[in-house]
Amino acid sequence: MSIEQNQAPADMDVRAVKRPFWQRISLVWLVPVLALILSLGVAYQNYASRGVLIEISFENASGVAADETVIKYRDVTIGRVEKVEFADGLSDVLVHARVDQKLASYLDDDAQFWVVRPDVSVRGITGLDTVLSGVYIEGNWDKQPDEAQSRFVGLESPPLIRADQPGTIVTLRAPDGSALAKGAPLLHKGIQVGYLESPQLAFNGKDVIVSAFIEAPFDARVTSNTRFWDTSGFSLNFGAGGVSLDVSSIASLIEGGIAFDTVVSGGRPVVDDQVFDLFNDEETARSSLFSRPNQAVLDVTVLFEQSVSGLSVGSEVRFQGIRIGQVTDLSASVEETGGVQAVRLRANLAIEPSRLGLGENATPDDAAAFLTDYVTRGLRARMVTGNILSGSLLVELLEVENARAQTVTKTEDGYYIIPTTKSEITDVAATADGVLDRINSLPVEELMSGAIDMMDSFERLANDDDLRSAPASLTALMDEARGLIANDDIQAVPADVRGAIAEVRQSVAELNAVIASADDAQIVSKLASTLETANTAVANIEEATRNLPEITTQIEQLTAKANALELDQLVANATSTLNSIDTLIGSDATADLPASVSAALDEMRLFLAEVREGGAVENVNAALQSASAAAKALETSVQGLPDLSARASRLVTETEAVIASFGERSRFSNETIGTLRDIQAAADAVTNLARTIQRNPSSLLTGR
Amino acid sequence: MASTELNQHLITAREAGLIACRRCGRLHDAQPTHCTRCGAPLESRDFESVQKVWAWLFAGIVAYFPANLYPMLRTATLNEHSESTIVGGVVDLIHHGSVGIAVIVFVASVLIPVGKFIAIAYLAISIQNKSVLKQHQRHKLYEVVEFVGRWSMIDVFVVAILSALVQLDSIASINPGVAAFSFAISVVFTMLSAQSFDARLIWDVDRTKHVN
Repeated sequence: MSIEQNQAPADMDVRAVKRPFWQRISLVWLVPVLALILSLGVAYQNYASRGVLIEISFENASGVAADETVIKYRDVTIGRVEKVEFADGLSDVLVHARVDQKLASYLDDDAQFWVVRPDVSVRGITGLDTVLSGVYIEGNWDKQPDEAQSRFVGLESPPLIRADQPGTIVTLRAPDGSALAKGAPLLHKGIQVGYLESPQLAFNGKDVIVSAFIEAPFDARVTSNTRFWDTSGFSLNFGAGGVSLDVSSIASLIEGGIAFDTVVSGGRPVVDDQVFDLFNDEETARSSLFSRPNQAVLDVTVLFEQSVSGLSVGSEVRFQGIRIGQVTDLSASVEETGGVQAVRLRANLAIEPSRLGLGENATPDDAAAFLTDYVTRGLRARMVTGNILSGSLLVELLEVENARAQTVTKTEDGYYIIPTTKSEITDVAATADGVLDRINSLPVEELMSGAIDMMDSFERLANDDDLRSAPASLTALMDEARGLIANDDIQAVPADVRGAIAEVRQSVAELNAVIASADDAQIVSKLASTLETANTAVANIEEATRNLPEITTQIEQLTAKANALELDQLVANATSTLNSIDTLIGSDATADLPASVSAALDEMRLFLAEVREGGAVENVNAALQSASAAAKALETSVQGLPDLSARASRLVTETEAVIASFGERSRFSNETIGTLRDIQAAADAVTNLARTIQRNPSSLLTGR
Repeated sequence: MASTELNQHLITAREAGLIACRRCGRLHDAQPTHCTRCGAPLESRDFESVQKVWAWLFAGIVAYFPANLYPMLRTATLNEHSESTIVGGVVDLIHHGSVGIAVIVFVASVLIPVGKFIAIAYLAISIQNKSVLKQHQRHKLYEVVEFVGRWSMIDVFVVAILSALVQLDSIASINPGVAAFSFAISVVFTMLSAQSFDARLIWDVDRTKHVN
């Protein structure tokens, strides 16, 4: 309107050329774009690294709080609890948590979760850090990624066995779990190599089952021949070796502990969850080496009429000397036979079929069939003495000849009844008495008095003044003989000489006979047999002693008795005899003897020369040859004497050896050895005497 | 109605052929391209201002999301540590009975930023389109937005002071969270957005319409 009114030209509408869109865009737009990109980037990264959601159910989640409780793996935080809620029906507490995505694939079947709380036990204090920081959830899994899981059942307490821990788990079966505690140490040669899990009742209600974990590489020591036994508490043994107190570690004293050892090589390697029996002590464990604990057993029962005292649960059952099972239960039961009620003592036996020689895979039914058949052929059960010291009994199955026909019956509760026969229970006291009686009845005293008598005789002989003066007399005799030979008259007596020589020959023959009779070993064999008796006696003693420490005291009494024997006197006699012999040999007269003899022989030679010149030479020669032969016979017979003493010596040595085997420290054996040494000394004296006689036969020639 | 009448009497500098320096306020006639006093470039109208406003506004809004989603404060005491977002903190404060403080925090951290976003967006839109509000009202709105902008940082200040004061190692410590940073950025962006706005444009549109 205003433009039309004005005459002036209209204002020029000057406008800038509209720039294209991309030129008009402000650089400021970069800011929001960058901010957006950055935000989206952060958001995406956040989402991507958010972690996976898992759900763990706990019976008790005390201390677990949402957004606070963390999840750790090897003490590194890998996640955080997001929510804690109840499962349907309030049965469990469900803990929802996010864990690091990188670990998701490791959270497979074997993943375990538990709440770490402070724990004070015998083995130490753990989880103390959680007192301040609050509880956390610890997870454990192996290093193998597997199919990831999102639901887990939490453990109520930390597992003893970590999933990635190398080792072997075996199952132990024990009749009683009172000595077992969770976490108790598993020891091998005193070193802890594993743990026990918590004991549980077995399904059959009889046993307690506990899993034991053996760490690698120690698990290689476990084979099918390994035996486990209980080392908890302490054991006190009072026996012949004194008192022995055996205590393992303090921890095992309180918590209990299990030890194992592989005594025999060659067992098969174990697999996981293999079942082993747990023995009460090491001795039982080791002695059970040949049993196969995993085998099904045949339950049989035996009804005894007499007392079963001495028989206990666990007593052996033997069949022809081989252990085939054990006694599992002892009870009394009332049996009615022929209208009369009588109390029978009932022993239940568990028999291992494979022990009966029925093969590795024999079943209890096989064993039942076998026993049923065998009973008709005379198989019977009886009690026999197992250990004469403790008086414990064991059950023996044996084949009785001409047994009254009986068959296997079955009790109401399914046990096979094996008929019995008369039991053989030895009385230890009676046996010991018998052995002692036998020892007492040995003719030890007679032997000793005989020896003393012999020594007395020797002494008397040696002390005899006549014998002592014999050398002097001999010299005098020689002198006389010399004088006689020098006498001319003598030459007239070759015939007398011949007669004398004949007499000598006769006496030598007699002496021969005497010595032969002595050599015929009447005395020697008597001594030998006596010593053999002593030998057997000692053997008996040894055998008896092995079982009967009490006898030692009695033997000591016996030794005292032996001490009281007149051994001193005997030894004194022997000593004085020897002294006498020494004196005899050492006397000057004896020393002069050879010279006198030589002089006598010279005279003799002269005499013989003269005789040779005479007509009687040949006669004399013959006579002398006879004398020579007689002397030779004497010599051979005398040579028998060393043999005799050698035999005596050998016997003594044997006896000594026997006694030495009886025991070096024993007072008895010392005494015995002493006695025997004295006897040996006496025998040596006899030898010496014999040698002296051999050296100086002329003493015999003189008739002394 | 008075203001409408007032508008009709007003004449803009642009219509008068004058340009005011936005920095020092000296009035020039149309010729010079730079202020003869301070040397700042002279422009009668900054037609790219709306673009900048939108750009900064978007950046501010983008930064405002993490500011609310992420924790503002990380407090750690002996055995627990907690993180609280802005809204979460307000709720906590109300639960603890500090309603007054809760209101302050809520107003400063939520109401004002959001209000600013809305206000700036409205102003930017109103330049290009028909507006309900009159020019004077919109101008006052712009002034309020600009004035209030600096107070939006109150939350960031609180976090900064707490973080500096409470650092007692493991016993207790307070650390700023991601949200503190993004909130501060959001506020800065919003202020830049408000500053980019050329308030003179408010007058042009209506004038044009009025003239047309």
